Amino acid sequence: MMRRWVWRLSLIPGVAWLVVLFVLPIGFVIAVSFGTVNIVGAPVYGWHPGNYSQIFQSIYVTVFLRSLLFALATTAICILLGYPVAYFVVRFGGRYKGLLLGLVILPWFVDYLVRIYAWVSLLGDQGFLNGLLHTLGMSGSPPLRLINTPYAVIGGLTYDYLPFMILPLFAVLGQVGDSVIEAGKDLYGTPLQTFFRVTLPLSFPGLMAGCALVFLPSVGDFATAQLLGGPNSYMIGNLIDGVFEGGGYWPFGAALTALVLAVLFVPMLLYVRYALRGGAVIPG
Amino acid sequence: MTEVDSVDQPATRETAEWQRLESEAAAAVPRPPVRPARRPRSQFDQPRFLYVVLAFVLVFLFAPIALVVVFSLNATQSLATLSGFSLRWYEQLMHDSALLSSLSLSLEIAAATTIVSVVLGTLLALGLVRGENRWTRPAQTVAVWPLLNPEIATAVGCLLFFTQFGLTLSPTTVTLAHITWAIPYVGLIMRSRIVGLDPELEDAAKDLGATDLGALRLVVLPLLWPAIIASGLLIFVMSFDDFVTSYFTVGAGVPPLPVAIYSMIKHGVTPEINAVGTLMMVLSVGSVLLALVLFRMRHPRREEAVLDLTGSGIA
Repeated sequence: MMRRWVWRLSLIPGVAWLVVLFVLPIGFVIAVSFGTVNIVGAPVYGWHPGNYSQIFQSIYVTVFLRSLLFALATTAICILLGYPVAYFVVRFGGRYKGLLLGLVILPWFVDYLVRIYAWVSLLGDQGFLNGLLHTLGMSGSPPLRLINTPYAVIGGLTYDYLPFMILPLFAVLGQVGDSVIEAGKDLYGTPLQTFFRVTLPLSFPGLMAGCALVFLPSVGDFATAQLLGGPNSYMIGNLIDGVFEGGGYWPFGAALTALVLAVLFVPMLLYVRYALRGGAVIPG
Repeated sequence: MTEVDSVDQPATRETAEWQRLESEAAAAVPRPPVRPARRPRSQFDQPRFLYVVLAFVLVFLFAPIALVVVFSLNATQSLATLSGFSLRWYEQLMHDSALLSSLSLSLEIAAATTIVSVVLGTLLALGLVRGENRWTRPAQTVAVWPLLNPEIATAVGCLLFFTQFGLTLSPTTVTLAHITWAIPYVGLIMRSRIVGLDPELEDAAKDLGATDLGALRLVVLPLLWPAIIASGLLIFVMSFDDFVTSYFTVGAGVPPLPVAIYSMIKHGVTPEINAVGTLMMVLSVGSVLLALVLFRMRHPRREEAVLDLTGSGIA
């Protein structure tokens, strides 16, 4: 083996890149969030916590809470759909295990915006479902309102991030092994008891990892709410987008971003605690 | 106790004796109430609803994108009713010079991102695995954090960073930002593979007279090649498809393809998006399948290759 310090040298370029283009930029977000702007709109650093107190106006608080609510709902639906799928593929997939897992993951590799577009064309007022209802003679004169609803946003988020729930669950359930489940049955557990007292607790790290991996990106998502939700379903990401791409007051946008980071810090820590120690998965 | 019968045993006197004793014992013990016959083991806890959920999820996942493909071949503008086969939307796409230049820009960004991040990410992974001690912990944190950070926060950070240092937003800044999330991703995939590498192979090479670098070049790299190419293909797809980072870090001028599609959808849906979406799907899914085939080469546990490729292995 080469000496260890030689290997450590190979860390330098990658770590340097990430420090300059990731750690430093996160520092800039925090610095700008306490700053103000000069006459041409460039950030000036200082101490202006007012940028944060601005967030606690009711409209922004509503949007913030809505983002968390949407993300929680998405996470819950992903558990309800993802757990049975992961369980089925691991235990009963047999020789089709890899194929089934691949099928479940594959749509995630279709471009993110194309996937959202697919839902727009499915749910839109002139879209496929309304067309189908029309053909069946069941549509009223105003088309059924499917798009621009909170349900469309939550459905779209579920579609975006469901694979992130299934992958870590698949990884941990694969390690549970048939023998402990058999043991549960040998001890006269009913299938339900065996599930709740053996399988579920053993898969807990994967479940936590999956929840973090669905929740974290859902909170920060904005294209889904923009294209499937409309103004009444806007999320925190849409506010940030409005500030930075709509010519808003940058320190306020930075404060919003910093707050997202602060709120998500706990789930991130949970993820690191459960998943990294437990050897689970991070899909990008 | 029927297990005894099922085991193949020569019919010796001992077994006959055993069976006699056993039936006597069975007769002596009061029998528990007869339980209904067990279903075959494989179905013991295989509730029907699992099939229903799986079927529902597969339909949920595939129906919307199937719709995009089908309607890209539709003869009319409608997104609701099919009215014959035509390639007119692909034709329109071929003459849409704005969209085509977005396409080639996205391909260029993806290529640059792939090359830089695969080199840096592989080095990072080698360093993290082979040089591991408590001083590399911070490096480990820095190598994982960007994967968990909400993409919008990373993108805003990059935007502030670039403006602060007076870098004009351009395809270059987009590429720099892409590489930032791509390095940790390559690092993650490669780590899962390097951890599984037998260090004795290198020792063997050195016993046979190879230098350190020789062992790396002749033994380690050849074993890692499929994984390196697979992670490169994956990064190519992810960079090509990336929307959020590109959206925040691109300036005026030709937008990358996903950003162009975003504004197309915002300004009203046209079937041309079906056509470009279908082409992107073919490119992405094709590359990912190729990546998977490569990554499975020499993979110790083949069915788990999907897991490792999508980033397991910080065990």
